[in-house]
This record gives sequence, structure tokens and C-alpha cells, in this order.
Amino acid sequence: MADFLKKTRHFFFPFLGEDHTDGGYGRFRLMLYGAMFLISFTPLILATGLSSREHKKLLQIQEQEQLVSSIEGAQNTIEAFIHELQSMVRFVAGEYSYEELLEQGRISELFAHLKGQYPGFVDMGVIGPDGIQKKYAGPFRLEGYDYSEQDWYVKVLTRQLYISDVFMGFRKLPHFVIAVSNKLPGKEEYWVLRLSVDYETLANYVSTVNTRPSQDIFLVNNQGRLQTKSIIFGDILDMCPFFTHYKKGETVIHYSDYKGKKYLRSYVQIKNSPWMVVIVIEGYMYGEKWSSHRLRVRMIFLGCTVLILLVVVPLVNTITNRLQEADQNRNQAVIESQYTNKFASIGRLAAGVAHEINNPLAIIDQKAGLVTDLMEISEEFEHKDKLLHSVDGILTAVQRCKVITHRLLGFARRMDVAFEHIDVSDLINEVLGFLEGEALYSRIRFEKYFAENLPMVFSDRGQLQQIFLNIINNAIDAVGKDGLIVFSAELDNRTMVNIKIKDSGPGMSHETVKRIFDPFFTTKEAGKGTGLGLSITYGLVNKLGGKISVESKIGQGTTFSVCLPINDARNEGNYSG
Amino acid sequence: MMHAMRGTIVDKIRVLIVDDEIEFGEALAERLALRNFLPEIADSGSGGLEALEGGLHPDVILLDLKMPDMSGFDVLVEVKRKYPSIEVIMLTGHGAATGGIDSMERGAFDFIMKPVDLAELMEKIKLAYKKSISTS
Repeated sequence: MADFLKKTRHFFFPFLGEDHTDGGYGRFRLMLYGAMFLISFTPLILATGLSSREHKKLLQIQEQEQLVSSIEGAQNTIEAFIHELQSMVRFVAGEYSYEELLEQGRISELFAHLKGQYPGFVDMGVIGPDGIQKKYAGPFRLEGYDYSEQDWYVKVLTRQLYISDVFMGFRKLPHFVIAVSNKLPGKEEYWVLRLSVDYETLANYVSTVNTRPSQDIFLVNNQGRLQTKSIIFGDILDMCPFFTHYKKGETVIHYSDYKGKKYLRSYVQIKNSPWMVVIVIEGYMYGEKWSSHRLRVRMIFLGCTVLILLVVVPLVNTITNRLQEADQNRNQAVIESQYTNKFASIGRLAAGVAHEINNPLAIIDQKAGLVTDLMEISEEFEHKDKLLHSVDGILTAVQRCKVITHRLLGFARRMDVAFEHIDVSDLINEVLGFLEGEALYSRIRFEKYFAENLPMVFSDRGQLQQIFLNIINNAIDAVGKDGLIVFSAELDNRTMVNIKIKDSGPGMSHETVKRIFDPFFTTKEAGKGTGLGLSITYGLVNKLGGKISVESKIGQGTTFSVCLPINDARNEGNYSG
Repeated sequence: MMHAMRGTIVDKIRVLIVDDEIEFGEALAERLALRNFLPEIADSGSGGLEALEGGLHPDVILLDLKMPDMSGFDVLVEVKRKYPSIEVIMLTGHGAATGGIDSMERGAFDFIMKPVDLAELMEKIKLAYKKSISTS
């Protein structure tokens, strides 16, 4: 898992965890990521957000319209039901006189007839002007009960027709009452015909109005007490939550939260009754349409995000890497050009000096030679041998100078690139020839172990001289006095010659090794090194189609390995010069 | 100006040294004379050509490559044009073989780098002389 996280981090942010001296490319990469994500995600977020908002509005309008339609339908149906009940009771009260209904046989027959039509009728009673139930038809024994104190009785006397809330009453069962009051002929007294209806009948009727299983439809009275059972809010006669002030005639519709869910609620008054019909449905956000829309939007967002990541991440990495590479190449080219110019200047200077010295050297050589010649043909004289010996010394010194000037001229003329077959051991010896004096002074020993029958490398002598001069100079600096530098060369993979230069110096830390080929990196004291030597060496080896590597540990010295191609690397596309 | 040191033996190899470094030319001439050559000296390219026009006819010319008035190349071209039988050995202080090779392409017999090894020089003079005899 840790490995996966590491790989993921490296994929997105390859600069993290690396050296912070990255020339600001990490920051550039981050800014590029920011810009790319901003221009990719902003329209995506806006599009999905606006689409969701519009879709939500449409769903809300749709569900509100449906609800209004449902509640109006329910209102009409329930009002028709109530009207029918009222008409029936009015008809009975109008058709039959108080005296007729006081006959038990008549009332029982009438009730049986009514129950045949509406099984919901529970009982029927005739209540005299004193509030006492005179006659009763039904399953309970309620004849003689005094209703004068009952709320509904008082109201029916004033309103002529009255429908009660659902209540328990004397029978202790939920029911409601439809009652009609009639004036006794020739008197200022009223008798009352009362029919009670089982609340189940009302509940069943209301439930048949419900056409959608997802909605909860029920009745409440004006105090907010449930008149039929609600799926969401509870049983009959419980208080309905969120009951708000209601103005008659209006259809109220609003959203409200209940137990962590959002509901859309609508209610309207049922005419000539104490009830309001209420329909509650779950909010749009719990509906299938919204959830499928939301799923689609999320899938689209996720898909687009993956697509953006797949495009942006490689794009940003490619742009940054290309930029970094281009900058590095430019820097390397500038450094190489400066270095080459420096070498060329040194070369020109060396050539000039060598040439100017060669002429007087030639004079000294010939004059001393002439002195020797003349002394050899002249007769013996005092100190002749000593003089001859001295002149020999002059000639030997001239020979030494000659070697030096020829070497300098050789170095200078190798500024131009010319590929040829080169014996590695000759080359190393040639380079060591430049450094003999310094090595002698510091008592540095050179050991050489070159494999037998080592093939020649195909390369440029001048550039190889620069490469090994740099490496050996560094080794000489590293070993100090009485050090040892070991040279070895062997065939590597049949196509390269691997030359190793191992010094007995103090070695380098892992961090130093990692940066040893970086331009301007130096461990030498200020003013003693430019930090370009090994960077140039690295560039030159690559240019010649070779490879350079370094191994070092503190206290165990340093080994540079330079692999050079035997064949013409330029034909194999390795040569970058 | 021309310095001449004529030898006394007729069949000695006649060598004209053309070099602006007079001290070098004189010393070399004396040493060659001690070794039975007949050397003569010219201290400039134009001096060398004048000597030839004045009737001097060396077997071999030792010609310095770099001189102030006329370069060794120019003198060489002129000599080979007017006196093709005379062999020329170039002397160069450059240390670069390219100068010598260029000279040989222009007709020089050989080249030798300063400071010269006398034994090697005499060897080359003799070879050049043999060639000069065979072609004249």
C-alpha cells in the first residue's frame, strides 16, 4: 500500500521528495496543474451544478403540481361522500316526524335500511328536546343516555346540521356523528336525529382516494388531531406535527422536515366538515427520478474527472519535462561552449608559447651541438671533459623542453574533433605525462592493470584527453600526498572498453555522489574549482557514445568508470555530437 | 644578406639553409660542414630565392616554414616551379604534422620538427640528395 502511494505520488508530483534545487520546475508544475484543473473542472462543475439545479426545479414543480391535483381530487371525493351522508340524514329527518321515529319498530326498520346502503353506519338515535336519547337502533344500549352536555349536541341545536370530529363518546370507540335538529311542530323545542359512523368507514374511504402508494393521505381536525390513521405521523386522535395556521379555502403546500426527512405536505378544508384532508409525500430527493439523475451526473463527473486526469497529468509532466530538458540542454550547451572556448584559448596559447620557445630552443640545441662537435675535434685542454659534460647537460635539458613543447602542441592541435582508433593504455600514459610533475611532487603512485589484447576504442583523442585529465586531476586532488591511483581497463560486453580509475582518497558521501555530475557542484574550496569539470566530462563521454559512472564510499576511495565504444558509435545513433 | 660557407670537396652534398633565425642557421651550417656537407645560409625566403637566381644550385634546401617576409610555403612553391630538381626539406617549429604534410603536398621531400635531431636530419638530407640525383 505504501509502495502504491509512493508510486502514485511520484506519478502526480515527481518533484516531491527530490532535491529542492530543481530550478523552480516543481513550482511551475504545480502552477500548471492548478491552471489545467481550473480550466477543466470549472466548466464541468458549472455544467453539472446548473443541470442539477434546473432538474431539481423541474422535479419540484412536477411534484407540487401532482400533489395539488391529488389533494383537489381527494377534497372533491371526500366532500361528495360527506354531502351524501348529510343528504341521507336530512332526508330521514324530513320524511319522518319525531313521533314516527319514536316507534321502535319504525326506527329499527329505517336503520336496517340505511345500514344496508351504508354499512359504516353504526347506530341511529332520536334525542328529545331534553337531550335524552328517546329511541335507539344499533348494537349498543344507549337509550336513555343524556346528551344535553355533549359538545356536538349543543352545536347541532344551533346549526341544524352538524358533523362531529372523530371521538370516543360513551361507547369508547372512535366514531363521528352526523346529526340534524328539527323543530317540534307548534313548539320552540327541537328534537335531534343522530347517526354515528364508524371511523373505519371514513378511514377506508380516505384510503381509497389515495392513488399513489408513496403518498400518505389522512384527515385532521382544526386542532391538528388525526381523524384517520397516518402512515407517517401516527394513529387516530394523535396530534399531527407541523400543523400550522390555516386560512379556509386555501390549498396549502410546503416542505417540512420530519425525523431527518424532507416531506412535501398539502392540506385543504373539507366543506361542511371539521376536517382537513392532508396529503404528505416524500421530497423529490428521495424519488427515483432524482436519484437516477444524481447518479448519472455523478457518473458523468467521475468519468470526466478520470478523463481530465488521464489527459492533464501526462500533459503537465510532458510539458514540464520537455521544458526542463530543453533548459538543461541549453545550459549544457552553454557550459560546453564556454569550456571548449576556454580549452581552445588555452590551446592557442600553448601553441603560441611552444612555437616561440621551439625556435630559441633549436638555436640552443644547435649551438650546444656545435660546441660539442668543436670540442670533439679540438685537442685536449683543461676542463675539456667537464665542458663536454656540461654541454651534454644542456642538450639533455633541450630534449626535455622539446618533449614538453611537442606535448603542448599536440594538446593544442587536438581541439578539432577527429575520430580514430585509439589505444587506451597509450592514451592514459599520454595524459599521465602531463601530470607526472605534480604526481612526483606529491609522491603519488600510479598503478596500471590493462587487460591483454584489449581492442582499441574508436573515439576522439583530444576529447578523451580532456575526459581523463579531469578525472585524474580530481583523483590527484583527492588522494593528496603519498596517495595511490589505480588504472585498469577491460573489455565490457564485447562492445565497450571499461576504464576504471580508482583513487585511495577519502571517498564521498551518497549525497555528493548523487550530485557529482551536476554543473557548478564542487566540494573543493572556493576559488579552487569551478564545479564544471565533471559536468563537462559527463557531457563529453555521452557525446562520444560512452557511459560514465562513479562509485564511492566515505573512507573507501572513489572509482570512476568510463565505458568507451570499440566501434563507431556515431553509426549506431549513440553519438550525440 | 647571404652567408656562405663553401666546402672544398666537389661531391659533397650542397645544402641551402633558409631560416630567419640566423643563429640557428649558422650553427646548423657549421655542424653540417663538419660532417662533410656543403651548407649555405639565407636568412629569409626572398634571400634564398635570390641566391638561387644568383647561380647557387644546392642539392637540398632546408626551408623554415614560418618566416616574416615570405612564408616557407611560398618559397617552396617558387623553388619547385623554377628548380624542380632541387629537393626541399621543411623545418617547422609548430610541432604540427599538418604543416609538414601540407608542404609535402606542395612538393617538399619531407619535413622535420625543431629542435632538429641532427642524425635524423642528415639521414633525410641524404635521402633527398639521392632523389635529387635520380631526377636531375
